[in-house]
Amino acid sequence: MIVPSQGVVSFCNWLQNTPYALAIAGSTWAYPFVQTTHFTGLSIWLGTSLALDFRLLGWLGRSRKPYELARSLFSWNWIGFVIAVIGGVSLFSTDAVAFSRNPAVQFKLLLFFPLALIAHIVVQQKTLKSWGSSEVVPITARIAGLTEFLLWLSVASAAANIPYFEKFL
Amino acid sequence: MGFFQWLENTWWARWADDSVLVATVFEIMHYFSMFLLVGSIVIVDLHLLGLVAKRRTIGEVSSEFFPLMWIGMALNFFSGFVMFAGDATTFAPNWVFHIKVTVIALAVVFGVIVQLQARKWARSESGVVPGWGKALALLSLLLWIGSILSAVEVPSLTNVG
Repeated sequence: MIVPSQGVVSFCNWLQNTPYALAIAGSTWAYPFVQTTHFTGLSIWLGTSLALDFRLLGWLGRSRKPYELARSLFSWNWIGFVIAVIGGVSLFSTDAVAFSRNPAVQFKLLLFFPLALIAHIVVQQKTLKSWGSSEVVPITARIAGLTEFLLWLSVASAAANIPYFEKFL
Repeated sequence: MGFFQWLENTWWARWADDSVLVATVFEIMHYFSMFLLVGSIVIVDLHLLGLVAKRRTIGEVSSEFFPLMWIGMALNFFSGFVMFAGDATTFAPNWVFHIKVTVIALAVVFGVIVQLQARKWARSESGVVPGWGKALALLSLLLWIGSILSAVEVPSLTNVG
């Protein structure tokens, strides 16, 4: 576990005491609505991202080129991302200090999420520019698609372990 | 409750619930398959509403995303059932859980109707989705979002799960 610096703790303390965070944390109904926003955003974001990964891996919709799939899903992929991030930041803000000390949150936000996001941007951009223009997907693209899939699985694994580590904090 | 007690005490339910590692694997499978299931049906619904992949036909979009939806649904129901079995006597009488199951059942029914209708619209000469088709897609979209909301309400309102 990384011990958060005093600056990070101060920021998290400020964040969880903002009227916005207090309103979510103090309401029976607001928290589940924010969770729903996060999961709906994730469904759109990951649904469209995994569709592209699976196409590169040859598991989905071989009737059209990966480039066409990436282009048609591009806008909604990033709309899903924005919704998921808004929901995620809102959830984090309700108990920011405790979350900043949780090893599962640290693994998720400082390791797996940035790596998965970088992998996604590389896969999406390379598919739009070179990998996706032919019927036959290059082996590099397949490996990149599989890597992205495994990294999102790692993000989900870290997220699933957040409540487990909360017991020890 | 006799059936749920029996279910909760089956060796596989105890194995999945008592081991932190196995329980986490099923939880990850449940969440990830939910993203796959809801993500793919949302794409089809948004396409029917004229918001996604506008240059593609309904036949192309549905043939790409419905297989993903069914794979997601199969994995989601399997992992969900195993997770339910581990705490069956707690979940079975829970009123929010009843709402969750009802909303999911409705979402699945409407998802199947959308899939069947999408095939018809794809085969039609115009390929145009009628107004009631768009309403159907919107209802399906709302039901899937509602299923997520009802799922997160189970622990939030009743401290179960």
